[in-house]
Amino acid sequence: MSANRQDDGGEGVLPTVVVSGVSMRYHVPSTDARRAEVPAGVGGLVRRLLGRPPLVPVDALNPLSLVAEHGEAIGIVGRNGSGKSTLMRLISGQSNPTAGAVYASSVPVMLGVNAALVPELSGDHNIILGCLAMGMTRPEIDEKFASIVDLSGLGKAIHLPMRSYSSGMSSRLRFAIAASVDPEILLIDEALNTGDAQFRERSKERMNELRASAGSVFLVSHSLGTIREMCTRALWLDEGDLLMDGDPAAVTAAYLDYTRHLTKGNLDSAAALREEARSTLVVTEIEAQAPGRRKA
Amino acid sequence: MADDGQEEQETRESAGVRVIPVSTRGLLRIGARPGFLDYLKQIWDHRAFIVYDARARVSSGNRRDRLGSAWMILNPVLNGLTFYLIFGLLLNTSRGIPNFIGYLVIGVFLFQISARAITNGARSVQANKAVIQAFNFPRATLPISVNVREILASVPVLITMLILILIFPPVEDITWRWFLILPALFLQAVFNLGVGLILARMISRINDITHLLSFALRVWMYASAVFFSYERFIDHEVLLTIVQLNPLFNVLDIVRDCVLYATLPSWGSWGVLSAWAFGSLILGMVFFWKAEESYVRE
Repeated sequence: MSANRQDDGGEGVLPTVVVSGVSMRYHVPSTDARRAEVPAGVGGLVRRLLGRPPLVPVDALNPLSLVAEHGEAIGIVGRNGSGKSTLMRLISGQSNPTAGAVYASSVPVMLGVNAALVPELSGDHNIILGCLAMGMTRPEIDEKFASIVDLSGLGKAIHLPMRSYSSGMSSRLRFAIAASVDPEILLIDEALNTGDAQFRERSKERMNELRASAGSVFLVSHSLGTIREMCTRALWLDEGDLLMDGDPAAVTAAYLDYTRHLTKGNLDSAAALREEARSTLVVTEIEAQAPGRRKA
Repeated sequence: MADDGQEEQETRESAGVRVIPVSTRGLLRIGARPGFLDYLKQIWDHRAFIVYDARARVSSGNRRDRLGSAWMILNPVLNGLTFYLIFGLLLNTSRGIPNFIGYLVIGVFLFQISARAITNGARSVQANKAVIQAFNFPRATLPISVNVREILASVPVLITMLILILIFPPVEDITWRWFLILPALFLQAVFNLGVGLILARMISRINDITHLLSFALRVWMYASAVFFSYERFIDHEVLLTIVQLNPLFNVLDIVRDCVLYATLPSWGSWGVLSAWAFGSLILGMVFFWKAEESYVRE
């Protein structure tokens, strides 16, 4: 299988995002006592005495390196829990990696959907606050305010406190705020597709505008059609491992094949496909050059 | 943990390794902590954010209560009344204190301002996780904005305090010394911010400290001569020095001297208070900045 990206020389690379040996491991409380790490020494004993559940390590992302170049739109596919969102959060700076580092040519902007910002403040106050937090000035905000409200489609609800919003409404507002800047590096999380039809249409329009002007785009989506249509490169993540990195058509086809085998219950053949993809992957390694030694 | 990952990568079967030489020059590391002076500059660049956040939250703070913002004043008034009943009438700690009501009002109102500012400043990082994870901005702006909010909220409280002092006999004259309470309150606010910054970092790591904070504040209140005169109770010399070095005690002492007793506060009080204020601010800023990368974690 030659779908995986082959060596293209690595010369004259103009990186916008460099993910260097990044991994992520969470420690979360688990009710499953058998899976828990055997707590060593006093710490574990104290935890048990205090009645706190044991912690289990979860490897959300195994060590991963990749370089995104200017003009690339990178789609990320994978099952739930494959590490897609973790990778996005690491690139956007919403989490810090357990190991490794992410470098970027400018601050990436994530269009995602989290909960409310400041629940007790009204929507319009949250818009101004969010824009100020992103470093915009008051005149800039005044200029964009109407278009943000318009994009959010909240109408009169914009004057109500955010804690009264439905989850769809607050995610729309968040999207509208984040989409108001013109970022060089843009991260888009799939969950956007939760809005109603009218909002989906508007947000798609705005996203296309942003994509056109952005230097690099990362897009997480379960819609393989969107990935094929919008991206110039695709990654397939599974259980924290990078399996494929290459042409969107080939990557989405392989991923689709894999999920079909899983759905039918052919676990063995699915595992074989996974192994095949993984074994043909050309692993990227970042060699950090000391400043000054770089070839022009 | 990094070692585990390394091993796995070595045993991993793959079609090969593509080494990409990358110069990190001109790239910024995501989530990296800037230098201290850059950090201060970033905070200054976000001043509009700080002021907006502070003002927006002053008005929304008591929206759930029927009496709304009136609670900002009712709270210390009721507090003062409680202390007056217990300490003034029942325990009679007022003996020997001229104008005990004025003494008590100043103590309770000013202590409450510090207690609120420090508690809210300490919780500011923990309480704003959603905003921290949504946007990239210098995190110290959160405790700063909370303290600005507390300063704005304390203006009506202070006016009430002075009105109460003027209403209840013995009536005090308004002299030029009353203006001296402004620098004292400024130093108090600076001190609150410094302590808030230190606690905000600690609480972002160990949430349990919030439980200890209310006890620490209570001890601090009793050690600040809020509703009794310390001279009556403390004979021990070391203990007396400790009380006199207490920053809040010095705030109360300065304000009482100016407003109630028509005397000029001593230079020693100003010196101790300034040292606490700026010492804690500098320590707090550096301490908070050191952990800048960690606040985003859950």
